[in-house]
Amino acid sequence: MSVSKKSKYMNPYLAGVLLGLVVIAANFISGRSVGASGAIKSAVVAGVETVAPAHAESAKFYKEFSEGHEGSPLNSWLVYQMLGVLVGGFVSGVISQRLTWKVEHNPKIKSRTRLIFALTGGILFGIGSQFGRGCTSGSALSGMAVLSLGGFISMMAIFGTAFALAWFFRKLWI
Amino acid sequence: MGPLVINEIISENTNLLLAFFIGIGFGFVLEQAGFSSSRKLAGVFYGYDAVVLKVFFTGAITAMLGLLFLSLFGVLDLNLVYVNETFLVSAILGGVVMGAGFIMGGYCPGTSFCGAAIGKIDAMIFIVGLFLGVFIFAEGYPLWENMYKATFLGSPRISEFFGISEGIFTFMVILAAVLMFWGAEWAEKKFPREEY
Amino acid sequence: MKNFELTPRKLISIVLLSLGLIIAAVPKNTTTPYKLSAEQILDEIKSGTQYMEPEQVAQMLVEKDPYLQLIDIRPVNEYEQFSLPGAVSIPRDNLLSPEYTEIFDQDVKLNVFYGNGTTQANEAWMLLRQLGYQNIYVLQGGLNYWAEAILNPTPPSNLSSNDELARYDFRKGASQALGGGTGLAAGNDQAASASKGKVPAPKPAGKKKKVAGGCS
Repeated sequence: MSVSKKSKYMNPYLAGVLLGLVVIAANFISGRSVGASGAIKSAVVAGVETVAPAHAESAKFYKEFSEGHEGSPLNSWLVYQMLGVLVGGFVSGVISQRLTWKVEHNPKIKSRTRLIFALTGGILFGIGSQFGRGCTSGSALSGMAVLSLGGFISMMAIFGTAFALAWFFRKLWI
Repeated sequence: MGPLVINEIISENTNLLLAFFIGIGFGFVLEQAGFSSSRKLAGVFYGYDAVVLKVFFTGAITAMLGLLFLSLFGVLDLNLVYVNETFLVSAILGGVVMGAGFIMGGYCPGTSFCGAAIGKIDAMIFIVGLFLGVFIFAEGYPLWENMYKATFLGSPRISEFFGISEGIFTFMVILAAVLMFWGAEWAEKKFPREEY
Repeated sequence: MKNFELTPRKLISIVLLSLGLIIAAVPKNTTTPYKLSAEQILDEIKSGTQYMEPEQVAQMLVEKDPYLQLIDIRPVNEYEQFSLPGAVSIPRDNLLSPEYTEIFDQDVKLNVFYGNGTTQANEAWMLLRQLGYQNIYVLQGGLNYWAEAILNPTPPSNLSSNDELARYDFRKGASQALGGGTGLAAGNDQAASASKGKVPAPKPAGKKKKVAGGCS
């Protein structure tokens, strides 16, 4: 069969090339590559510093963070980048008419189940991204781009584990 | 000569502004590729949609090649570019936990922002989970601080670590990726599904 | 001949493999680029900002200023015969050796090069400055002038200006503190008077900052 199926999404290889160009631009301009989980970390630290400053001064995690970053935690490269991601994603959604409020889930499960697992997945990803010092964007993709050993290891661990566990969670998806 | 901000060709504030624009490009491409859909993202693990594999590897390889070529033409100084550090135990542990989070949640932080941007409620809940997860890590930090900082290997490049040149390593990754692309398209034909 | 359809996958694979072959075959660009243009270097040469007067260095030594790093550019045997306090030996011919990169590539300490005269120290300054390192300085006059000015300062005549007299006082004090020449009465007040005529020392220039990256 030689007809490629019509897709409402961009060709993945083309998207990949564009993604690579974004990473190149980030490295060329800022000497660092894209990321995501770091912005969450900054936001959490900023939140704790505002709500419970005494705790933020004494607890090790927040102390180490403020020692490494001067000024407000939110005034960081990643935070601005993630704000841009929201805008970019939104614009793309508008252009491709994909804006929609919905809980996307496999029809075989309930929407509530999906949300519970989304929350759990998020919590695990939040914890894991701290240990991994990055997520699939910041560690795996960006790490690979600069040939970082740590990035490569991260990527293998993430995808390897997900593949290994896929069978157990298949009901969520297929 | 890049990187621009390190060679002080642009200011730090310009850098932050450009970060915003880079983010726009990043988010736009991810959403255009369909990464705003958790069902598409999870598809690679079940064979029916290998978009993650195609986009991720094409992206990583394009970036690798691009950076190496820019360095070759003297336009970018790779010594000044950030290379992720390698904390062996922590990286593996983090990767495993993230892998579990990925297969359960169907998102990763970057893609969840894309999903949330177009109104996917499950993506938004995922983001709430992210905040909680980071907070849990932060509060429990004394418990695992030692593990977090264990086995620091510096910031080696893979090519240095294995003693091969960067170009050759890149070529090996390309070969592996091409093989995976072939495998992926075979799987997609074998497990067809309507598009999400 | 079979129909070869150029799907995106085949196209991307061909492109990536070809580029990959090129990048694998071409040797890496290991030349460190010169960071300053020729005009910039000439400007610095003309303004002579790289020189540090012996008095400035003497003052920093007397005050045990932690920001001073003296570097002896002469052959090792000369260094071992006599060297300035706290100086490290980096013979001119070994300047590009990677073990010294740390010393040059920082923005905290002032690296002051000295030789017997100024020629070799200037050579080091030119080379390292073009590689983009900052905080590189040259001891004006080298050790020859140092011996003359600091270790054995010549008393000015009675008709000299106040400046010259002050300078002589300073030099005497510094000389005593640094173990030079004539035996003056030892004591802390000598060192104190040396630091009275404060000569402003140059401040280290900021270095290119290293980025934080990843997700932190």
